[in-house]
Parts: sequence; structure tokens; C-alpha cells
Amino acid sequence: MTQRFWTALAEVKDPEMPVNLVDLGVIYGITERDGIVEVDLTFTAMGCPASDFILEDVRERLLREAGVREVRVNVVWDPPWTSARMTEAGRDALESWGLAV
Amino acid sequence: MPTAAEFDQTIKSGELIESPKEMTPEYLRELKHTLIVSGDTELISAPAYYLAAKRAPSINAFMTGIAIIQDELAHAHIAYHILEELGEDQEKLIFSRDPKSFRYPYAFDVPLDTWTELVVANGMYDQAGFCLLGDIHDKCSYGPWKRGLNKVMAEENFHLRNGRTWMKRISASGGSAKDELQRAVDWMFPLSVEWFGLPDDLKMHSTQLEYRLKGLTNDQLRQWWLSTVVPYCEQIGIKVPAHKEERDGKDVWELDYPFPCAFDAEAKLWDFKQPSTWDDVLVRWRARGPRNAEMVAMFQEEFHKFRKTHHKNGS
Repeated sequence: MTQRFWTALAEVKDPEMPVNLVDLGVIYGITERDGIVEVDLTFTAMGCPASDFILEDVRERLLREAGVREVRVNVVWDPPWTSARMTEAGRDALESWGLAV
Repeated sequence: MPTAAEFDQTIKSGELIESPKEMTPEYLRELKHTLIVSGDTELISAPAYYLAAKRAPSINAFMTGIAIIQDELAHAHIAYHILEELGEDQEKLIFSRDPKSFRYPYAFDVPLDTWTELVVANGMYDQAGFCLLGDIHDKCSYGPWKRGLNKVMAEENFHLRNGRTWMKRISASGGSAKDELQRAVDWMFPLSVEWFGLPDDLKMHSTQLEYRLKGLTNDQLRQWWLSTVVPYCEQIGIKVPAHKEERDGKDVWELDYPFPCAFDAEAKLWDFKQPSTWDDVLVRWRARGPRNAEMVAMFQEEFHKFRKTHHKNGS
């Protein structure tokens, strides 16, 4: 049921690196009820300088999905993000950019 | 070392130069000069931005400001590191030069005093940096520099985003906040236009272009900058002294004020009624602006103090 939201967030790029949020592994869960989408999301670092931009982009993109009237984002720190959470595609993108992951 | 004719052929063929062995002394000199301007510009943006980032309106905004400063220092490091490979002493370049001999755009010498001015700098100065470095990334004949800029471009995008997002936010909040933004744009826009240097019709000859150190002329770079900044400002309801015209089926950006003209750096005011000459501008640039010495001292003073206390033998 939430597949379309995952697909939507796969279109949202990290503001600093050439990788999308789903491949980066920072989206932990998505639920939807009566047009309210709730997203569990983490950041790669607690001091993430792009956190405001990421929250803004996630809200903005999900609100463009049909039937969505509200987006609630929960920032979670458990389990902590590690590079092991990246998909193969995310890893490839960062490697081609010169980051060892 | 190649002969002048061999080197000329390499440049014309579009091949990349990979090491000092493949260069003529003239190319090496021009490459170093271009790298010093780039390194100095990135380096000096750190104290310039830091003095304003301290006034960030939230912890997250402060983190973003500090992250941008860290990026700028890393970009400076790329340029100075290449200079070292080309035989320059990085430490001397950074810590032992006279403040006035640093080669960065005059704009940074005018203090950024508020968060609003900082985000306008991210929106306008970083856009200027993006155009200049984007062109080098695209066209530069020196391979190590061209490749080093891959990441720089992505990071400059992030700075631009910080500038644009905040400018839009401040403009939308209206009232005195928007007035403050407009005032910042009023003095910072013409300084950014100046950033690209002499107009093409006054600059007869460009060795940088001949050697493919860059690909676009000053006026082409300036047009590129205007084509991104003017529409964005108009879109968020901020006035800028430039407009678009169509000439021979092409969009051309025209300034609505005499270029160049007189600037009072202390008051941060342009006098559009008082055109000046490029000779006047060059005099102002060479004298440097209000914050030059203070910013250079920010990193030089502590370096030398530390040296003294930690190397008692004066090593």
C-alpha cells in the first residue's frame, strides 16, 4: 500500500550527495491512514547540516501524491544509521563520486 | 619540457595536461595565478561567512552555516594542494603573505553583518563561484584540477540552496525582514556583477582562455550569473537592477545602472548617478576593502603565535 510513497521518496535527492534518500537508507518506515502519511526518518549524522532541507523536501514531495493531506515526519535515532543501510545502487552512486563506502 | 609549438599543439587538440613536466613555463605561471585566485577566494570566504554565521537564528541554521564554511576551507585546500604539487609552499601562501596581496574578489572585503547578508552571499557570491568553477570543471586543460572540482560543484549547489531557501523565506515573511533583505541585495548585487572583472571589450587578450584554463569570457560568465540570479529574485519578489532583452533572437541581460559606478563600502551604498571608470575600480580593488586585514589576521595571527609557543627553537 505504501509502495508509491517509497517510490516518491526515491525521487528526493540528498541535498549534499548525489544519492536519493531511499538508496541512502535514511527512510526507516512509511505508514498511511486517512490521507495522513507518517514517515520514520533518520539522518546520517546528528549534526546533519542539511536536515531542514531534507524534512522540507520529504514533506513537499509526499504532499504531491494523490490523496495525501498531511505529512508527519518522525526523526528517529534508533537504530543509528550506518553505511550498511545503503542499497547497492546508493553505494555505487557514492563510489562513482569518489566516496569510499 | 615540451617546446612551445608542441605545447600549443597539445592545447589545441583538447588533451589534458597532467603534470609540470608537460607544461611550458608560461602555462605554469598562468595556471598558478588562476589557482591562487581560486584558493584565496575560497579561503577568505571562511572568515567572511563565519563572522556572519555567528548570528544564525537557530541551531540548525548555525550548523548549516558552519558546514558551508568547512566546505569552503576544503575547496581552498584543493587549490593550495595543487599549488604545492606545482612547487609552491602552501604554508607561505596562506600564513606569510601580506593581507593586501591575497587575490580574491573585493566583495568579501565588505563586512557581512547579519544572517540575512550571509544568505544573500550564499545566493549570489556562491552563484558567482559556481559559474567560475563550473566553467573550469567543464573546460580546464589541467586534469588534476578539473577532476578535483567534481565534489566542489555538488557542495556549491548546497550553499546556493541555503541562500535561495532563506532568501525566499525572508522575503515571504514581509515587513522589516523583507526590507532588510532588499537592502542587502541592493549593495550585494552590483558587487557580484563586478566579481567577473573587466568587460570583454576592455580585455583584449586572455591567456587563461588561450590555455583553456577556463572556457568562458568574463562577459559570458557574467551573463550566466545574471540569467540565474535575476529571475530567482524576481520570482521571490525582490527587486534587482537588471532586465532581460532579446537581441538577434537571443536573451541578453542588461544592467539598469552605469557599469561600473561609485561604491561607498563603509555605508554599503552604490551611487548609480555617479558612473566611474574601470581604472577607479582597479584602484579600489587594489587598496582592498574594510575587512581585508581583519579576516587575514583571523587565521594568520594564531598560526604565528602557536608557532612561537610550540617551537621554542624557532624551527
